[in-house]
This record gives sequence, C-alpha cells and structure tokens, in this order.
Amino acid sequence: MRMGNIFIFDYLSKLVGFFIVLFTLLIFIYSLNFIKTKKKEYYYWMFLTFLSSLGVVFSNHLFLITIFWGYLGLTLFMLINLYSDQNKASVAKKTFIIVGGSDGFLLFGILLYIYLTSRYFIVEKPLVINSALSFLSFFLIALACFAKAGCIPLHTWIPEMAEVTEAPTVAYLPASLDKLLGIYLLVRLIKDAFILDDFSKAILLILGSLTIIAAVMMALVQHNIKKLLGYHAVSQVGYMVLGLGCSTVLGLAAGLFHMLNNAIYKSCLFLGVGNVQKQSGSVEFENLSGLGKFMPATFLFVLIASLSISGIPPFNGFVSKWMVYQGLVELFKLSTSFTLKLVILFSLVSALVGSSLTLASFLKLNAGVFLGQPKEKTKEASFTLLISPFILSLLCIIFGIFAFHTILPFIAKAIGEFSTSGLWRPMQATNLIILGILLGFIIFIITSKKRRTSPIFIGGEKIDFQTEAKVSDFYVNIRELKVLKNIYRLAEKKFFDIYEQTKNLSFIFIKFLRYLHNGVLPTYLVWCLLGALWLFFIFFR
Amino acid sequence: MTFIPLFVVLPLLGAFIISFVGKYKKCFSDIFTNIITLTLAFLSFYSIFLLNTKSSLYIYKVGGWAPPFGISLVLDGLSVFMLVTVNILAFLITLFCINYMEKFTSKFRFYTLFLLMLAGMNGIIITADIFNLFVFLEIASVASYALVAYGIESEELEASFKYMMMGSLASLFILLSIAFLYSYASTLNMADLAQVLKEKGVNKVVTFAFVLFLVGFGLKAAIVPFHAWLPDAHPSAPAPISAALSGVLIKVLGIYSLIRISTIIGINKLFSNTLMFLGGLSIIVGVLLAIGQMDLKRLLAYHSISQVGYIILGLGIGTPLGVSGGLFHLFNHSIFKSLLFLNSGAIEYTIGTRNLDQMGGLREKMPITSATCLIASMSISGIPPFNGFFSKLLIVLACIKSGYIGYGIVAVIGSILTLSSFMKVQRYAFFGSLSKKSQEAKEVPSFMKLAMLILAIICSVGGLLIFKDIGNYFIKPAQEIIVK
Repeated sequence: MRMGNIFIFDYLSKLVGFFIVLFTLLIFIYSLNFIKTKKKEYYYWMFLTFLSSLGVVFSNHLFLITIFWGYLGLTLFMLINLYSDQNKASVAKKTFIIVGGSDGFLLFGILLYIYLTSRYFIVEKPLVINSALSFLSFFLIALACFAKAGCIPLHTWIPEMAEVTEAPTVAYLPASLDKLLGIYLLVRLIKDAFILDDFSKAILLILGSLTIIAAVMMALVQHNIKKLLGYHAVSQVGYMVLGLGCSTVLGLAAGLFHMLNNAIYKSCLFLGVGNVQKQSGSVEFENLSGLGKFMPATFLFVLIASLSISGIPPFNGFVSKWMVYQGLVELFKLSTSFTLKLVILFSLVSALVGSSLTLASFLKLNAGVFLGQPKEKTKEASFTLLISPFILSLLCIIFGIFAFHTILPFIAKAIGEFSTSGLWRPMQATNLIILGILLGFIIFIITSKKRRTSPIFIGGEKIDFQTEAKVSDFYVNIRELKVLKNIYRLAEKKFFDIYEQTKNLSFIFIKFLRYLHNGVLPTYLVWCLLGALWLFFIFFR
Repeated sequence: MTFIPLFVVLPLLGAFIISFVGKYKKCFSDIFTNIITLTLAFLSFYSIFLLNTKSSLYIYKVGGWAPPFGISLVLDGLSVFMLVTVNILAFLITLFCINYMEKFTSKFRFYTLFLLMLAGMNGIIITADIFNLFVFLEIASVASYALVAYGIESEELEASFKYMMMGSLASLFILLSIAFLYSYASTLNMADLAQVLKEKGVNKVVTFAFVLFLVGFGLKAAIVPFHAWLPDAHPSAPAPISAALSGVLIKVLGIYSLIRISTIIGINKLFSNTLMFLGGLSIIVGVLLAIGQMDLKRLLAYHSISQVGYIILGLGIGTPLGVSGGLFHLFNHSIFKSLLFLNSGAIEYTIGTRNLDQMGGLREKMPITSATCLIASMSISGIPPFNGFFSKLLIVLACIKSGYIGYGIVAVIGSILTLSSFMKVQRYAFFGSLSKKSQEAKEVPSFMKLAMLILAIICSVGGLLIFKDIGNYFIKPAQEIIVK
C-alpha cells in the first residue's frame, strides 16, 4: 500500500480540514476564559478530538476512517463527562450508546462495501446501488453519518446533550465538528463511493424533511435555551440531507455549504448562550429577560446568527437554503419517476415551513432573553469570550454577502462546477436592504420629536418579574393545539426516541431470559440434557 | 526441546513446596509464586522465538517412550499461542494477588490451588495424548472448584456446588467419548489417532463420540445452552480467580480442547454450522442477560458467555480469516476480561461492594482503576483503536466474506448491546456524583495498580497484532494448525 492511497488530500478534504482547524482555534480561544477547572483533561480530550477529526477527513482507507470515527465517540463521551454529575453521566451514556452503536453500523456497511466491490478505498470507482445489499451498505454508512450529524432517527442525543453540557463543548462537537464530519462523509459517499438510485434519494429526502419539521416543532416549545438550540442543531441537518439527497452537483454543493454555514452560526449561538449562562447563571427562559441592555455585544452576535439560521437575507443561511431549494427544483425537473417528484414536493414544502418556524422560535429566543424588562443587573462577558462569537458572526455576514466571491469558488473546486438558475445577487440585495434600513432610520429620527415615552402603567400596581407577560408564554399555545397536543405528549414520553424504544424492546427479551435463569440446578441440568439431545438430533438426522 | 515439561513441572512443584513452607513464612508464597509465573511467562515467549526461528514443531517424549506408546508433549503454533496467553495472565494475576489476597486468611493455600490450576491448564495445552488431556483437565477443574469456594460463605459454597455438578457432568461426557474413541481406534496419541481415523474413516461411533465431546467441552466453555453454571461460579470466586476463570480457564478447558479434538476428527460443514449457530446464540443470550445486571461481577460473567460466542463464531466459519479472528479474539478477550475482573476486584477491595447502585463518581477517587476500566470497556465493546475492535472486525469480515451476512449482523448487534451494557458500568461506577460508599474510597496499592496498568497497555497496543508483520509470529502459526 502506498501512502498516497491510504490518505487523500483533495479539495473536499482540504476544505473540511481547514474548517476543522478554524473551529478548533475559535473554540480554543473561547475556552481559555470559560474552562476554569480540569483544564488539562479538557484540552487533552479536545486535542484528541481535533486529531481524530483530521484523521477522518484525510483518510482514504475505509478501515482508517472507521478507526478515527469510532474514537471520536470516546472523546465526546469524556468531554460530556468532564464535570460529571448524575445528569451528565446519564446523558453521556446515552450519547455514547447511540454514537458508538452507529459505529457498528458504519463498520458493517463498510465491510459490506468491501465485500461487494473488493476495494478498500473510499475514493476509487463508485458502486452503483442496484441490489438490496448495496443499498444496505449505503444506508448503514449513512446511518452512522446521521448519528454523528444528528438526523432522524438517531438524533435524540443532541438536544439532551446540549442541555447539560458546557457551552464550548456543545459548540465544538455537536454544533461544529460532528456536523463537519457527518456531512463530509455523506458527501464523500454520494460523490465518490456510491451512485444513488431513486429509492435511496427518496429515503434521504424523506428523512431530511422529517428531521426539519419534527425538530423545529420540538424547538418551539422548549423552556431551556440550550435545549432549544440543540433541537435546531438537529433541524438544520435536515436541510443538508435534503441537499445531499438530490445527489446532483448543485445539491451536494448546497448541502456542504449549508453545513459550513450551520457550523458557523450554530457555534456562534452556543457560545453566545454560553456567555449568557456565565454572566446570568441561567439558561431557562423564565429566569431571563432584558439582557440586551447589559450585554449588547453578545446580543448583536446572537441576533446575527439567529437571522442567519432563520434564512433571512443577506446572511449566509439564506444563500445556502436558497441553493438547497434550487437543488430540489433541479432534481424535480430531472427526475422521471412520479413518486420521487411527489417526495421532492413534500421536501420543498417542509423546508419552507421549517424555515418560517425556525424564525418563530428564534424570535422567542431573542425577544425572551435580550428584550423586555430586565430582571437584574448583569455585566457583559469579558473580552476573550467575545472574540470567537464576533469572528463567527462576521463570517455569517461575509459568507452571506460575498458568498460568490469567498467560499463558493472553493466549494465548486471541491464538488464540481455548478450553476444556479434563480436570480440572487447578494451584493445588490444587501445594498437595497441597507438603503431600506437607512430610510427607516431617517424616518425614525424625523418623527422622534412627536413621540413620547412613559413607563408602563397597569392601574397603579407595581410590575414584578413574575406577573410580567413573557415572550415564551406565547409559544405555550402551540403545545395546546388540538392536533399537536397528543404528539407533544408522546414526544415528551420519548415515544419517538428510537433509543428508548429499542431499550424497552430488549428488556422484554431480558425479562424472559431472566425467567429462565432461576438459579435452580435441576433446571440447568435439564437444559444441558435438552441441548445434548438437540445436538444428537442434528448429527444423526 | 527439554524445557517443555517445565510448563507443568514448575507450577506443580511450586504448589507442593508452598503448601509446606508457605505456612511458616508469610511473604514466601508471594515471592515464590510470582517467580514461577514470571519464569513461565518468559518460557512461553522464548518458545514463540524458537518456533519462529528454528523448527515449527517440538516433541518431548516423556520417559523416552516413542510416540504411539508413551505420552508425548508437543509445542506447535497453537499450543504456543495458548501458552503465551495463559502464562502472561497467570503472572499478572499473581502480581495482583500480592495485595489483593491480604484480606483473606491462609494466602498460601490460595497460591497452592492457583498453581495447581495453572499446572492443569499448561498440561492440557502441551499434551499430545487425549487421556492425558483428560487428567490435566480434571486437575484444573478440581482446583477451580476449590477456588470458587475459597471465601466459604454460603453464596460461594452454593456456586461451587453447582459448578462442580455441571463440571463433573462435563468430565463424564468427555471421559465417555474418549473411551469410545479408544475402543474404535485403539490409540490415545493425538497424531496417531488422526492417522487411524483417516484410514478407517469416520463412522457413527466417531460422530457419537464427537457430539459427546461437543457437549462436554461446551459445558466447560459455557456455550449456550450449557452456560448456566458460569454466572454463579465466576462472580463468587475472589476477583483474581474470576479473572483467571473467565480469562483463560474456560478457553483452555473448553475452546482449546474442542479445537484440538476437532483437528483430529476433521471439521465438516455440519460441525461448522453448528458451531456458528451456538456462537451466534451465545453472543445474543449472554449480552442480553448482562444488560439487566446490577452486580458488577455477574455482569462481567455474562459477558464472558457472549464473548466466547464471538470466538466460537469465528472458529466456526472455518476460513483462515475467521479462525484468525476467533483466535485473536480469544487472546484479546482473555486480556480485557481479566482486566475488567481485576477492576471489579479493585473496587471491591476499596469500598467493599460489587453492587453498581452503591458506587458512583469513583473516577475522582481511583484514577488508575477508572482509566484502565475505561480502556477495557472500550476494548470489549469494540471501540477503535483498542484490541477488541480489530478482532471483531476480522470476525465480521470473515462472516461477510463467506456469505453469512446474518451472522455478521448478529455480531454487530451483540457489539452494540455490549457497548450499552458497559456504558452502564461506566455511568454507575465511575461517573456521576459520589455515592456514600465511594466518599472514603482511595486508590488501590501499587502491585494491583501495576497489574491493571500492564493489562491496559496490552489492550491499547494489542490491535497491532492485526498487522501481518506482527501477527505472523503469533496468530498465523496457530491458525495454520487449525486450517491448513
């Protein structure tokens, strides 16, 4: 084996590798001031995570990918358990079972791939999916990607993990690195290792759309900011999977671009919320209000990232979502099968609906935390905690306005040349948007003399924090809607959690087996006899 | 080679001397036992060296009698492989015992029994005579019955009784089938027996004897449905003995003997399929029973059943790849399972319980135990880059390459369930907040730490054996004995 074969340094690897380095650097800067105790352990596992991520991205040999990939599960487990308590220990356990378990799928999928093609490298000749086994191979590897990136059905660890773990860890693993790796491998599969048929495309599209809708609906009703962001970390993966499901050059580019954007704004959001947690000591909506006055910089960065994730032009989230839509439309034109067309329509609709629901839930976040009456005085986070969010939100703007001049040429080099059919000129649009804002501002100044401000008056009663109408209360209504009520109730009982369901199922078997193992010697002797009789029967049939 | 009998003679002699002298000088038995096991470990490494540089087969004729008539001792690829596995572990376990067995009275009796068991195991491995194999098997078994009952509490005695009943049943089956073979072939020497069976052909008598062997060795190896004694017996013994029982005894008495016998009689399709089915069944049943356990050692014991299933599955496939995978997993399992039992012993040593409910947060108090246990858990769950991953990889690859996709899926599912069960161990024992009992826990004494650390290092680098350059000296010669 030559070295050139085992490792791969094409544009795709280099692009993703660059972002791995970038995110590691940013999170490292943030952690300097955030992680105060157990520093050695934290940086040790972080460094190992960094190295094995690079290993995944630059490996070409399938076994090597599996080894690095599997090791990441352990580092994630150790990072969650850094300041271990009962809650974290449970969540870490669940996380590692899902992520590590999916490594089993990955291994099996890869071994099937080797069996079918007798090739040990991911970039060689692609395998056409035309049999049950080849589909199984693709699907199993894709499942591992789903678990890492957080797509239905293996997404359930992300929101729980986001809720309990420290902000930099969440920003580092599920929000940026795991997305980079999961989507990288999926792109690699679709681009170099497999040629998808209509059925596998449809499966990807359906899973993608379900992810978008289900996760965003859950995000709407959360009380905990980090958990809300966790659900969005899942929901956004749906868009990427939609893009990849198109499996056209445009679709792949869109998925990859959206992944990069998502990593940028999602880690910005987590870091911003980390600042809120550090300064105010809480991430529950009911304890937070009006922080914008005291933490203007954090507010600004979170706002930019929120607008990006909701797909508001001219930020980066809009551009990549736009490309995903384009990819879907293109596939719609290309496809000949009626079912696939139907699936594409469904995905388009859910992508659009999901986008608006995302906006709704981020209104809740920004208004609930940063606007309104302040509860108590807090201070802005220290300078080092603001550097990384600042750079990330700057990237949100740059990749939005100058998308065609900065990042997209590189993506085109990595994936292949693509063209968008729709008309979107971000620079002109930005000029118009800025013009609009300026106009509004001028009107605001001109008319300001005629306005007067006075404190809120409610019949002479004093306003206290408890009685104030909170933004988050508006969203309670969603939970009470007739159709959704039961679904939410089931979701809260973890009915849709594949982990819990599998657990319940295996406990049925375990109960039965336990019943058989009653500890009585004669019973055991009877089994031996039965076993011996069975063996005699087989050999003397 | 004149040193071959030393593998049996040394521990036997040691047992004899310790039972007389150990009573009067307390530290004598510690030092003496460790010297013996260390020597044996070196000897076994030396035999790897010999085997790979000079001849690939050494025969020692006991008493100078020529092979078909006298008993001969043989050193070939497979027996050296097993000798290394057994003797490394024996040394590390005795190292662990120096501190651990302090809490028991009359330590020298323990060492006597342990060396007796070791003599039995080494004897099984090097003998080339099937009746001699039975004798050594009984020596090892009887010593292990006594060791299981070593704590002489009611629980231990009950477990030992059950173990003895099932064990004697197994011995009877084996003895009966040896008698059948002898009556048919009129010889007990293994090589000679193989020759005679080849000439006379395999008829119903041989098949009958073979099924009896399968039941007998299946009982010794704890393959489902003959496994029921194991979860009682292994947890009841003192932790280092559990490590020896789960780590090497079941493999030498069960799997190794079964392999030897089957190379004599010849492996056919039906036999392979039966082994694979039993292996797959053991994987799933063992791991499912382990998931529900809250007793740490019992949980580990159930995992032994499941992991033996992997070994049997790999061997049952019968291709060179599958057999290598099975043997590799045998070696790996003996390393990480012993380590896990030693970890459980370390926990029991310091906080006096093996109930997972009463542990918690031990990572803060026992960093070495916690780190080594994490490595062992990762190994057994097949997380790269630890050794268990590579052997499972070989087994699953062999399954798929031979077209047994279903068994491959069973192996992968077993691996996922193993992971979830060991996540539970980690979560309850080492992570989470400190429990009442673990408040006063502290790290164990140095010899125990040393033994655990060496095992953890082997777990971390053991995966290197998958590379042809290294594995060719160790696993390949053994595999070639089974599949030519």
